[in-house]
Amino acid sequence: MAETLLVGSGLTKRYGGVTALQDVSFELRAGEILGLVGPNGAGKTTLVDLISGAQPATEGELTLRGQRLSGPAARRAKAGLARTFQYPQLALDLTVAENLLLGRAARRHGTVWQMVAGSFAGALRPHLASDTQAVAKLAEELGIDRLDRPAGDLSLGEQRLVEVGRALGQDPLVLLLDEPFAGSDASGVHGIVEVVRTVQRRGHAVILVDHNVDLVAGLVDRIMLLDRGRAVFDGNPQECLGSPEMQQVYFGVAAAEDDQEDASHVVS
Amino acid sequence: MKRVPGSFGLLLGLVGAALILLWVGADGYKQTLITTTATYALIALGMYVPYLMAGSLSMAYGAYAGIGGYAVGLLSSRTGLPLILAWIAGPVVAAAVAVLLGLATRRLSGFFLAAVTLLFGMAFTALLVDAEGLSGGSGGLGSLRKLNILGWVPSHYQVVVGSLVVVCVIAFLLDRLRMSPWGVIVRTMRDAPRAVEAAGVRVSVMNLVSLAIGAAIAAVGGGLFTYSAGSVTPDTFTLNLVFLAIFMPLIGGSATPWGAVLGAVIAVELTLNFPAVQTSGTLILALGVLVILLLAPQGVIGYASRLARLVGGRRG
Amino acid sequence: MGQLQLWLSALEMGCFFGLLALAYYLVLVGAGFFNFAIGPYAMVGGLCTSYLVLYEDMNVWAAAVIAVLVSAALAVVTELAVVRQVQRRAGRGELPALVAVAAVLFAIQQLGGYLFGYTTLPGQALLTFDPVPLGDTVAQPSTVLLLGFTVVAFAAAALWIRYTRTGRLLRAVGDSTHAAGLLGLPVNRVRLIAFLVSGLLAGITGLLFAPKAGVSSLSGLSWALSGFLAMVVGGTGSVWAPLVGGLLLGLVEVFVPYYFGGQSHVYGLLLVALLFFAFKPSGLFVRRIRA
Repeated sequence: MAETLLVGSGLTKRYGGVTALQDVSFELRAGEILGLVGPNGAGKTTLVDLISGAQPATEGELTLRGQRLSGPAARRAKAGLARTFQYPQLALDLTVAENLLLGRAARRHGTVWQMVAGSFAGALRPHLASDTQAVAKLAEELGIDRLDRPAGDLSLGEQRLVEVGRALGQDPLVLLLDEPFAGSDASGVHGIVEVVRTVQRRGHAVILVDHNVDLVAGLVDRIMLLDRGRAVFDGNPQECLGSPEMQQVYFGVAAAEDDQEDASHVVS
Repeated sequence: MKRVPGSFGLLLGLVGAALILLWVGADGYKQTLITTTATYALIALGMYVPYLMAGSLSMAYGAYAGIGGYAVGLLSSRTGLPLILAWIAGPVVAAAVAVLLGLATRRLSGFFLAAVTLLFGMAFTALLVDAEGLSGGSGGLGSLRKLNILGWVPSHYQVVVGSLVVVCVIAFLLDRLRMSPWGVIVRTMRDAPRAVEAAGVRVSVMNLVSLAIGAAIAAVGGGLFTYSAGSVTPDTFTLNLVFLAIFMPLIGGSATPWGAVLGAVIAVELTLNFPAVQTSGTLILALGVLVILLLAPQGVIGYASRLARLVGGRRG
Repeated sequence: MGQLQLWLSALEMGCFFGLLALAYYLVLVGAGFFNFAIGPYAMVGGLCTSYLVLYEDMNVWAAAVIAVLVSAALAVVTELAVVRQVQRRAGRGELPALVAVAAVLFAIQQLGGYLFGYTTLPGQALLTFDPVPLGDTVAQPSTVLLLGFTVVAFAAAALWIRYTRTGRLLRAVGDSTHAAGLLGLPVNRVRLIAFLVSGLLAGITGLLFAPKAGVSSLSGLSWALSGFLAMVVGGTGSVWAPLVGGLLLGLVEVFVPYYFGGQSHVYGLLLVALLFFAFKPSGLFVRRIRA
């Protein structure tokens, strides 16, 4: 049985009078791809924010490889998390290559000492061959070309792809992808799927958020369905597709079934 | 053929420096003009990292230059230590002050940060006047010793050459820093700080580091100016200078640190060496800045490199 | 110096800062912008009046009218030629707008010096009458005028914002420019009026304050800072908030050096700025958005 990488228990997020997440728990194993689905407002991005540290949890705990996962986003990233955002956060003036480099570069500038020493190192040796090769490899895996375009020139789908590449450059234990397929074309989707498979091969794990359940179901090992802040299903993707929970959450079908029963009773 | 990153800029800078030295010759007035240009350039270069790369505008640079200047003044008049140490002590103190100010203002940005740092600059000047015992009050410090580096006492001309060399070296290093992974992180902080945090770098700490670097560079400039002027007072590094330091990279072009240097040359030419009434040159500069802001935000270098690309196909 | 004299001085400084803060308030509420150039507008109001009276032998009221019109014109130009262009273009953050307003501030400062000279000129009294005795001290005519104008200006602003159509639009437009535009509100006109009124106000304030300590082309910067600080301290919750902020700063400006000596009023202002910006950036009077 594969090692348990990430455990979340009782994760809750409240603000104002709103409960965005209520008592969500999950386990993520090495090599596993978890799909996080649900309609808009279900709390998917909130959960990703709580895991990555972008927002503090009101209640609940997270552990990564047995160690308590807490503190600001930067600390969690150093512990082994990487994420993309619902709307790509790229430096639009910088080139594609430079944006891809960020994840890798950040690993070497995590502490104050590294930041100070890094400035001297950068002035003395601005381009490292290892960095250039790593970025080229990332680009190749993702199917991105013309690396010296400014990132602002890219389409939304291409920007998402670059963001995923940047996250991969961090070589994370857990990769969090927030709606990576929205706005992507076929080759973009292919590139992202490649990345997900690569992470899986390395023995690490991926949490993939999307509201296109069909697309996700074919890719992931497990699905977690959120509805209004609660986890209502956690299990096999194929089972999830046909499940009553799915029907309820996406189509509100359960009520209709009751009506049908009453009607048939009247007819017969 | 493997090109050294930043060498094109350095080449142009050295050529420019050589031309300037030819023009200066032995003329004392011109020599002073050039050391002033070098000081302006260093202060603008000092602002380059936090302002142009990280996107955070602090107006405390007059204070950092002043710390560099007073370091030279104090070391000269109060101690017997070799004067060259002032260029280590000044930048270190300036960097420390920048970090403290950065910590006090870490949640501020934009207009609020500019206002507080401007007030800080004014408070620093006030402090220099009040702390008479240490700083010499409003009279300042004067009659400085000459530099004596292991027995060699550089002539005034050699100081001028030295200051141009320092400017070129720092601009060259900052250019390389901009291209380096460190530079990529800081430049990303400007537009996508969430991405930088999510990658594992604390933006607030990185910001402090870049503030420290900028302050240290400005202090080098301040020390240089004080040495060549022979004295320093609380009014030496005026608030005018801080505004000019913001505008210099704008005029020259903000894509590379050499833009700050070019902007400094233009600024000094207009404000101190203008053939007509001296003061109208500053007005022309001010109006020119507005025109550039509105019509040509890439500055001189930006447009020159665009032109070069159109002509030759090389990326600027 | 008697205590009463100090309080009177603090009141005068407070009203000066409060009026500048009111000018900031109008542009902030109407255009969502921190117009640092308000300091130089005030400087022009004072310096131009003094220059015209002293060097062109003009009647003080005529000079004052011209000066105020010039400062209002500068405000209009700032909005039309600079701010509007920069705000439209800037996608990322406040930096371009900040640099633009710094450039305007600097340019007006230089323009003032070029046109009116670089020396400090004494302020011109609009009305001369016998100083008013107050307890063991007297209030100079310029002080009385400044205090009187403060009351008038704030009362007029309060009435304008509450009872006139344009005044009510001011808040709506500033709160959400985009939504206001969609609703068909005259966003550009309201912004322009906000800038115009603040320019007029700043110009008058400058010329009324100039008699206290003179005015030079460099005065604009410290006036700009003080006014900004007063506005931030007061907050945007009420049209009287800038006055409260100004009075608070007036107290700091006068009493801190009295007790601590030297240049300590600058340290006092810095401390106030650090405290307020860090802990209460929305000021003493916070806007309550009615749901």
